[in-house]
Amino acid sequence: MSVHWPGHYHGAGDNLVRRLPATVKLGVALGLILVTVLLPPDQGMWYVAVAGLLFLEMIISRISVLFLAKRLLLLMPFVFGVVLVNALAPTGRVNWRVLAVKSSLCLLTVILAANTTPFSETLRVLKKIRVPALLTTTIALMHRYLFVLADEAERMRRARASRTFTPQRRFQWHALATVVGQLFVRASERAERIYDAMCARGWK
Amino acid sequence: MNAIEITDLKYRYHDGTEALRGVCFRALPGECIALLGANGSGKSTLLLHLNGLLPEKINGDGAVKIFGDAIAPDNLETIRREVGLVFQDPDDQLFCPTVAEDVAFGPQQLGLSEKEISTRVEKALAQVGLTGFEHRATHHLSHGEKRRACLAGVLACDPKILVLDEPTSDLDPRGRREFKAMLRTLPSTKIIATHDLEMAVELCARSIILDRGEIVADGRTMDLLSDEKLMLQHGLEKPHILHHLHPH
Repeated sequence: MSVHWPGHYHGAGDNLVRRLPATVKLGVALGLILVTVLLPPDQGMWYVAVAGLLFLEMIISRISVLFLAKRLLLLMPFVFGVVLVNALAPTGRVNWRVLAVKSSLCLLTVILAANTTPFSETLRVLKKIRVPALLTTTIALMHRYLFVLADEAERMRRARASRTFTPQRRFQWHALATVVGQLFVRASERAERIYDAMCARGWK
Repeated sequence: MNAIEITDLKYRYHDGTEALRGVCFRALPGECIALLGANGSGKSTLLLHLNGLLPEKINGDGAVKIFGDAIAPDNLETIRREVGLVFQDPDDQLFCPTVAEDVAFGPQQLGLSEKEISTRVEKALAQVGLTGFEHRATHHLSHGEKRRACLAGVLACDPKILVLDEPTSDLDPRGRREFKAMLRTLPSTKIIATHDLEMAVELCARSIILDRGEIVADGRTMDLLSDEKLMLQHGLEKPHILHHLHPH
């Protein structure tokens, strides 16, 4: 049994975008993001060009629109937050549309890059461009145990659901809080065991 | 010289649970010993002591000696090089994104050259039958494959003593059979904590039975495991395989 929500897009198979070296892909992604962020608000055509490029990448890498939309929706609260703050600012009324477009384009770039590059490749590039080891190790561990934690949460949810007989909201919230708390305790205990296992193989 | 020498080892957890109450035993180089006992009898706690992961503060009192050396803060590195510990939950041990990276972790800590590391990774993966799995993501392996990858990660450090915590739990019959066959090919001293009594009979000439932190029996596996009364008394049972070997 395994849960794949934090994983990559499955089922795209082999294609041109996937075969590109990770360094190139991530470099282009970073470039696109920088250009999008720095573009003056009145250069409408440029935004269309960036969007077109992303669309092309989506077609070549055969990632479904539905999948992209779902991921984008997941991250939208952040965009809304930024846009809202900007819309309420006394000088920013005109800019909020531009901001929404910019943020969405940047997020799309990141989502596409992440889903066409295997995670271990991304990590290798990060190490190559001298990102501090502490940071890369943390990211690697986080990615690795996200799956274990998601599995654990799912197992706990199922076990709880199988013994839930009352549809009352209050009980459900209570149960959810317990699961979250348990997950935290289990995660920290697992962290101790992982550290032990690392020490056993000579970690200093 | 003894590979392992344990004298009057005691350990108490923070919550007051007495996990080990004066454990004594010796293991000769090359021996394969099964560590048996009910849940909570102190097997895992004992294993953590063999590698210096417990007690939290190592005082160098000489309760645990590996090849004649008492475990002390200044020789921990050597001890951990000599004693390879395979944990019960493979997810605790496999923490790198890919199999090759995980197997390379130990050798990297030993400060070996890139070339030596890749030779060791290749050899260890071949030993456990995972050649070709180098670039697979560790979280997408099956449970049996995860177990093998864990073992490869420890074998790559080339330990003289191999300590395994329930290596066959959660494995399907074929996985168990293959894992046992693999263990049999390894020449190192082996301490195997397990509930798999058939494996004890097949692999280990000697067994030690723990109960509530004390060694209650130490001897030939055949003798101990066919003693039905002794086994039942300590939360175990006479394995079926022995019923067939000694028909009444």
